[in-house]
Amino acid sequence: MAVSTIYSTQALNSTHFLTSSPSSSTSKQVFFYRRHQSQTNRRFNTIITCAAQQTVVIGLAADSGCGKSTFMRRLTSVFGGAAEPPKGGNPDSNTLISDMTTVICLDDYHSLDRTGRKEKGVTALDPRANDFDLMYEQVKALKSGIAVEKPIYNHVTGLLDAPELIQPPKILVIEGLHPMFDERVRELLDFSIYLDISNEVKFAWKIQRDMAERGHSLESIKASIEARKPDFDAFIDPQKQYADAVIEVLPTQLIPDDNEGKVLRVRLIMKEGVKYFSPVYLFDEGSTISWIPCGRKLTCSYPGIKFNYEPDTYFNHEVSVLEMDGQFDRLDELIYVESHLSNLSSKFYGEVTQQMLKHADFPGSNNGTGLFQTIVGLKIRDLYEQLIANKATAPAEAAKA
Amino acid sequence: MMSATASHGRAVMLPSPSGALQHQQPSIGSDMFRLRRKEPRGLRLIVAATAKYKGTKMREEKLSEMIVEKVKEATEVCEADVRSEECKVAWDEVEEVSQARADLRIKLKLLNQDPLESFCQENPETDECRIYED
Repeated sequence: MAVSTIYSTQALNSTHFLTSSPSSSTSKQVFFYRRHQSQTNRRFNTIITCAAQQTVVIGLAADSGCGKSTFMRRLTSVFGGAAEPPKGGNPDSNTLISDMTTVICLDDYHSLDRTGRKEKGVTALDPRANDFDLMYEQVKALKSGIAVEKPIYNHVTGLLDAPELIQPPKILVIEGLHPMFDERVRELLDFSIYLDISNEVKFAWKIQRDMAERGHSLESIKASIEARKPDFDAFIDPQKQYADAVIEVLPTQLIPDDNEGKVLRVRLIMKEGVKYFSPVYLFDEGSTISWIPCGRKLTCSYPGIKFNYEPDTYFNHEVSVLEMDGQFDRLDELIYVESHLSNLSSKFYGEVTQQMLKHADFPGSNNGTGLFQTIVGLKIRDLYEQLIANKATAPAEAAKA
Repeated sequence: MMSATASHGRAVMLPSPSGALQHQQPSIGSDMFRLRRKEPRGLRLIVAATAKYKGTKMREEKLSEMIVEKVKEATEVCEADVRSEECKVAWDEVEEVSQARADLRIKLKLLNQDPLESFCQENPETDECRIYED
């Protein structure tokens, strides 16, 4: 990705003209030159063109529609500001925009609308229902600082609506079923996350989601999950091997024979060796730790909290896994846990707790899902800042030459 | 033409839940999750965001109806062959509309205002932007 382009030209007393870069109307051009009346040995002047912003692209894969509001809101909140749908446009737009981030729903790249999929006999999970060429072109364009007219898939009508204009943001998040499916799109991602919900938890969540609806019953919810499973396993699940971070959500091990799915065991699987990403750890990197914070200093109510940290391999990659089983009851439990975690990329002591409290009414605020989503948010902020700092120094160095 | 600024909420006075009830609050992936805090005794004021514009109300109803329809359809189609493509697609449609229905509910709750709010500020004359009266 070209961030800054450096042009060398003859001295300006020649008739050489530079045309402006065609890439972005938002690019600013900075001219440095010297005027020489006399002959000079200096052969070239340097003109530095910098794009007004450098877009960092994050991919988020999960099977719960594009209203992954909680994860997105936690993420955008780390950067400050609330993410909202584009004002004044199509009210059924799936896009969310905040000061720093724009979140695009990959359902907008469906090549087949609901009727089309029915005719062809493909589910939305099937790659045949999605236009990966367009997805690649547009994500590439946004990453290079070029605005795009992105289609809108209307989930209410099941139709493809007229496109909306998306300006290149500082941080672009693409969320949906297939962010890491296409190899070209994968290469554009600076960081990728896969939300891996186990079958039992998925079932419990969908019951919570759907039981209030007239049309649904336990049987229909179950049948829907089962019918989608083959396509899910074939097309969506394999993407997790490419993710830099996987958040795995499983039923708790703290309550024997628990089938209510209320207490969760959440594992944050972090790939080692990813540029600008340093995994969170407990006590000592690369060691294996099992930690129950509840005891003399901290009293927890049943079933308590248990942490685990260990190195592992995941699809032939070295990973570090931080695991939390149980739930937080009180503020002091949260801060106590935070003070024992390392490499959080927080900017001040208690930042994780503060972020969690800010969204205390979001689902997952008292367990590992909220905690790890918040931590991933801080990691993304850290990655963004490092990437930007890195790109800023590179052209400065080249200009010295 | 009303210019709407405040969210259209219904104030509900509820007696505070007893200690036992508090512990039964669901704590995963659901709308009613809370980080447990000591609730003060007495009445609790809850302002729940509900649909303010006709357009949102229409979407809510339409999606709920579609769920009923599509579940029925899927059940019928799958009777013939539960592994057929038609069966898969039918249940995928059920999932799509169920999620869309839930997303609308979540939007209303998290935004604490009607999702059509900004659209209706710009287009108050459309049918969708008529204020919904119960």
